[in-house]
Amino acid sequence: MSVLTFAELLYDSEIGTSLRESLFAFPIVEGMHLIGLALSVGLLFFIDLRIVGVVFRHVPIPQILQQLRPWLLGGFAITMATGALLFVSEATKMIELPVFLWKLFFILLAGLNAAWFELKWGRKVAHWGHAPVLPVGVKFAAWASLGLWSLVVITGRLIPYLSYN
Amino acid sequence: MTSLELFSTIQNSGLGIFIGRQDRMLWAIAQIIHIVGIILVLAPIVLISLRLFGFGLYQQALPKLAKESEKLIWLGFALLAFSGLLIFIPAALHYHDNPVFWIKIYLIAAALFIQLTLYRVITKLEKPNPWLARITAVITLVLWFGVAFAGRFIGFV
Repeated sequence: MSVLTFAELLYDSEIGTSLRESLFAFPIVEGMHLIGLALSVGLLFFIDLRIVGVVFRHVPIPQILQQLRPWLLGGFAITMATGALLFVSEATKMIELPVFLWKLFFILLAGLNAAWFELKWGRKVAHWGHAPVLPVGVKFAAWASLGLWSLVVITGRLIPYLSYN
Repeated sequence: MTSLELFSTIQNSGLGIFIGRQDRMLWAIAQIIHIVGIILVLAPIVLISLRLFGFGLYQQALPKLAKESEKLIWLGFALLAFSGLLIFIPAALHYHDNPVFWIKIYLIAAALFIQLTLYRVITKLEKPNPWLARITAVITLVLWFGVAFAGRFIGFV
């Protein structure tokens, strides 16, 4: 089955159709997508900004990393679930939209960056988290996270403006 | 002057006509500035609410966390006001007829009021009463999330 056929299948599915045709379901899901964004990307940015030394320099990195992790992961679960619903309702249009594909690409890169950070640094934060000078890789991952998630948000917001030509 | 006359004056002002003539991508840029502002306001509110509930950063002093995140909140609000006006001014009459726009305006007023009163007083305390802290967090979250929700609804009404 081709990607396009699959997108058509999603578009025509019961859930895709009811979302598209309901007066309130679509904006409610979009509102939740936005709240999820504040929790996920919002809290993640706090950790990134702490690592690069912009905010909360008095808060130990292991503390902010470990205590915010469950909340931002919960936020990502909300963002991903509502994002999937929004995609299903517009699947046939989205799958051919370059800006949406760019958004997916940036999500993939941001996800890989997060996984790499988590495996290489996140698990042993106690070893480096209190050092006066942080490992270069840690700072790189934080800047990459800030840049990539910003691109995800920007390309996401551009979707309605680049899809009605 | 009624609100309708006021909105009509705004839309038909030199500035309103000037912004209205710009390329459609200006709106897209304004919307991007708007969403950056939303993140800058909501993320600190979420963070401080976690602290008020005792769910996160509980070893850290509340006033210090609140003071530092307040800068982000006001920077975010400035971006929201600027980009929001860019979006609103050239289409003021369009928003005048939209009930959700008015709900959003009232929610913003309420959220700002709480931000400058209850929230400010409670987050200045080293050890606020736990229930008062939780109530403050809930009210602040509900109002700002309400603003965000109303904003998302405007385009669908």
